[in-house]
Amino acid sequence: MPAKRTTAATATPSITKSLSSGPKTLTANSSVSEIVHHVWQQYLTTTPERTMLLDAFMAFLVLIGGIQFVYCVLAGNYPFNAFLSGFSAAVGQFVLTASLRMQTSTDKAKGANGMGVGSDGVSHERAFADYIFGSLILHFFCINFIN
Amino acid sequence: MQLWHTILQLSLLAVTAAPTAAAASAWGFTDATVSVHAKGAGVGSGLKENIPDNKALTKPVSLGSTDTLKVTLTAREGRSAKRAHQVFLLLQDPETGLDISYPFNVKDNGKSRVELTQKDLPVQFLSLSDPLNAKLLIGSFGSSEAYNGAAFKLAVTRSPDQPVPTVEVSRYGKLPEIHHIFKDDPQNPPIVITLAFVAMVLATLPVLAGMWLFLGANVRHLPNALKASPIPHTVFLGSLLSLEGIFFLYYQSWTLFQVLPAVAVAGTVAFISGSRALGEVQGRRLDGLR
Amino acid sequence: MRWCLSLLLFCFLAVVNALSSSGNRLLVVLEDATEKESYSTFLGDLEARGYNPVVESPKSDKLSLFELGERAYDHVLLFPPRSKGFGPSLSPKNIIEFMNKDGNVLLALSGKSTTPSAISSLLLELDLHLSTDRSSMVVDHFNYDIHSAAETHDVLLLQRPGQLRPDTKSFFDGEGVLAFPSAAPHTLGDSNPLLAPILSAPVTAYSYNPKEDFGSVEDVVASGSQLALVSAMQARNSARFTLLGSVESLQDKWFSATVKAPGDGKESETANRDFAKQLTAWAFKETGVLKVGKIEHHLAQDSEAPSVELNPKIYRIKNETVFSIEVSEYKYDKYVPFEVPENDALQLEFTMLSPFHRLDLQPSGKTENSSIYSTKFTVPDQHGIFSFRVNYKRPFLTSIEEKHEVTVRHYAHDEYPRSWKISGGWVWIAGLWSVVAGFLAFVIMWLYSAPTSTASTTKKTQ
Repeated sequence: MPAKRTTAATATPSITKSLSSGPKTLTANSSVSEIVHHVWQQYLTTTPERTMLLDAFMAFLVLIGGIQFVYCVLAGNYPFNAFLSGFSAAVGQFVLTASLRMQTSTDKAKGANGMGVGSDGVSHERAFADYIFGSLILHFFCINFIN
Repeated sequence: MQLWHTILQLSLLAVTAAPTAAAASAWGFTDATVSVHAKGAGVGSGLKENIPDNKALTKPVSLGSTDTLKVTLTAREGRSAKRAHQVFLLLQDPETGLDISYPFNVKDNGKSRVELTQKDLPVQFLSLSDPLNAKLLIGSFGSSEAYNGAAFKLAVTRSPDQPVPTVEVSRYGKLPEIHHIFKDDPQNPPIVITLAFVAMVLATLPVLAGMWLFLGANVRHLPNALKASPIPHTVFLGSLLSLEGIFFLYYQSWTLFQVLPAVAVAGTVAFISGSRALGEVQGRRLDGLR
Repeated sequence: MRWCLSLLLFCFLAVVNALSSSGNRLLVVLEDATEKESYSTFLGDLEARGYNPVVESPKSDKLSLFELGERAYDHVLLFPPRSKGFGPSLSPKNIIEFMNKDGNVLLALSGKSTTPSAISSLLLELDLHLSTDRSSMVVDHFNYDIHSAAETHDVLLLQRPGQLRPDTKSFFDGEGVLAFPSAAPHTLGDSNPLLAPILSAPVTAYSYNPKEDFGSVEDVVASGSQLALVSAMQARNSARFTLLGSVESLQDKWFSATVKAPGDGKESETANRDFAKQLTAWAFKETGVLKVGKIEHHLAQDSEAPSVELNPKIYRIKNETVFSIEVSEYKYDKYVPFEVPENDALQLEFTMLSPFHRLDLQPSGKTENSSIYSTKFTVPDQHGIFSFRVNYKRPFLTSIEEKHEVTVRHYAHDEYPRSWKISGGWVWIAGLWSVVAGFLAFVIMWLYSAPTSTASTTKKTQ
């Protein structure tokens, strides 16, 4: 995960700046709730809006996959092929969206700077085109398999 | 065939029972005793019964697994004791008609003796619940009428802890029917649970919409995009929608060979229009609008 | 012209062969030609039924069961030999070989003469046992003819045999009394299921050796109904071997004798002639010969559906299948519909290594000379190479062994129910299409969503 590390490193000045209005800085002996709260605040302040929308979509996919999995546990896996394709559609879409997030997520400053290129040198639009291509193939296979 | 034998025997019994038929020249017996003594027990112990002349014993005689059955009699032709050619103890299963005879040891003066144990019996007789019919057959050549009469009933007793021997003889015949037992068809879960979960799954779409609205998702760039490059954008979106529509038709009824050309056409259109449309999007991003 | 002639010849041969289902060449082996006279009615009856009896002495040089490696006769009737055996051309090995080539043998013995050890060893091969001295004779002091055997009691009077078992056909039943003079008894071994007794001695009968008599019998190997007088063995190739204990019962004298049992006053005519006809008819395959006609299996069809494919090579699991077999029985001169005996059943097995189904076939139709048995069943839910098997082996009937292989396949991919028909899968179908819908919404949102100015303030207030 070198991408994340660089993001974090470059984001450091903005954190200190925005955290000045935040509750308090993290210390070595902070409680668990404090850590969680701190991480959440940091996520809210440092994530670009577009990435947050993408995260909402990923949360939706987790939710839909979870419901399908719980149903399988509760009611049995018949017909199994339907379970496999329904569940793997959610999981596969999640994985694809996660790759899109990795390729397009830049911090606010960088995004504002208008570089528009992911850490591995792929433009956001190219990454999105790949994402659509992959998703369509995934849908085709799932629909084929669900019979 | 067995039926015929029993009928024959019955008729013969009737015949022999009739005292009129030439009483002077009929075979019979006298001084008949039947005794059962267990192995190891002293002489005189155990059961000993006298069989009345030319008649049957009423009580059944039981023969245990270590007992020896002994029958003695004196064969008589008419009034005089005489050696008969055939002095047999005939055991017969009343149910199946299965029979076996044991010849007596006959002396010249007609005195005859036979001993038998359970080892001498055929295995089929060892597992019977009803007592066997024991008959005496006395006959010889010449014109004298032969004797065939019931003597006693023989109950074969076995101790319950001893296994009953069985015979298995293979014979061609009808075999038991076999019906294949099918695996159960898989069962659908209760429809209520299914519908509840369908509702939950469908409810995630409004949840997604709500989250997006909360986070401020919008389509405010759509007019701009359409103004900048109308054809690529409409065609791109349209081809994406039609690709998913083709997938839906494939799910519903289409075959693979209907789907593949349609996907090839829509995919090419989506590729060409997509590169234009995404170029426009990139332009917007480079302008800092995104 | 030529095929016309051969057709004519064929028809002619068919007429000549009309009697036995397996040919009319009969070899009668009789040592003493003068004896032939006493069997004239018996042999005449055989001739009248279409056989060509060739009477030969076992000592004859030209006597051979085989000619150029093939059977020279279809049936052999062996009268008891006077000398030590039948000679080299009728050795036990040759007789067995003759039966292996589907020839039928009827061997008659007599209690008057000692049976040669060669014959005893032949019988031993078939699990038929003679007494060890081979010269025993059956007597019964209760069922003898008082006219001819008042002193010796060796002419047994017997009822005609009925059914061997409740589930067999009786080929030898009828009215009347049989007279069996000086019968040589035999016993049946346990190890040969192909053996079946036809006629047994009465319960009160026993056997003894008249030459070694000591006033009374004290050692009997078998007695009563364990002594068989007539027995049959039908080999796996349906060749028949019949053993008749009393050759004298075939003599003219006993074909029309008047006999009287001790005790009951009735005089009766012997039924030996009728029994001899039944016995030779069975032994030489005029009766009890089964023939399988059409065998059909196909999918069970709905009432109005058009004709389905007959005898397909492949079935799917859980197919409803109908199997039918046409069986006819040869009866003296023609094939008649075969009726399964009352407590018996013609059974179909659907097997792969072991039977998955074994079903009784039910009569479903009848033609002029055959009856059709059929059953309907569901193909097991197991794919593989199966076979329809009808294995019908019963005493006195030639065996039926039919095996027809078929493939049983799984459901094809388009034979399963579609996913929406299974209510259990609705959740996952909804999940899949929700993902697709969410994906489309996400694409639109990603392409056209503008950053909101209020976004940062929203975040801060959270």
